[in-house]
Amino acid sequence: MKVTTSRFGEIEIDSDKIIEMPDGMIGFTEHRFILLLPDNKGCFFWLQSVDNPALAFVVADPTAFVPGYEVTLTPDEYDKLRLAPEAVEVILLAVVNIPNEARNITLNLQGPIVVNPAQMTAKQIVLENGKYPVRHPLFSTAEPEQTERDGVSGSVQKITAICGNL
Amino acid sequence: MLVLTRKVGEEIFIGDSICVKVMEISGSKVRLGIDAPAHLRIYREEVLAKVRSENRSAAEWELTDFGRVAGLVPNNYKE
Repeated sequence: MKVTTSRFGEIEIDSDKIIEMPDGMIGFTEHRFILLLPDNKGCFFWLQSVDNPALAFVVADPTAFVPGYEVTLTPDEYDKLRLAPEAVEVILLAVVNIPNEARNITLNLQGPIVVNPAQMTAKQIVLENGKYPVRHPLFSTAEPEQTERDGVSGSVQKITAICGNL
Repeated sequence: MLVLTRKVGEEIFIGDSICVKVMEISGSKVRLGIDAPAHLRIYREEVLAKVRSENRSAAEWELTDFGRVAGLVPNNYKE
């Protein structure tokens, strides 16, 4: 199907790449998104609304930048995501923000997006445990060790597997 | 909006399974104790407002911003 976007023009995507977000992004009403992998194949992705050409977020896998980052889901959230209780394959995405200059970009660790790739459903959740900030500076953390790098490329592959092409 | 007056130590039930207790009042601050089923997420209103506001500003990204940032990511984060 064709998706019209303000940033990338008209793009052709497979309908099985559409991610349903029944509750939308917090503060927004749009319910259908696609993940797009930019040309540079870095660790940032676009979460583009299918129904609103102008609405897109830059997202990244928080576990690639914050070792040990984890989210505990409630039973309601399992239901919303149509996630089987024993399922382990979820993708976490954090909204990326660019306050003033590029080096100060931040990850929103307090409002992660949880994606169930098996059902292509997602939900943005709000964590209230004081553990993770809404603006985590991306470049303040030490560079990961070799062992974590392997995990990172694995998580990027999981995300690219459900991405549409630009 | 339902408005109720409570004293310290008194409780309010919401449905059968949610109980809100006034623990302490000190100046303009009220400490509340909340008993609720684990499947309910409870958060301060300002946390939700912060996430909403982050989403709003994040939605302002343009392709040129993306170009500036993409080059900053250390090589070992890339595939």
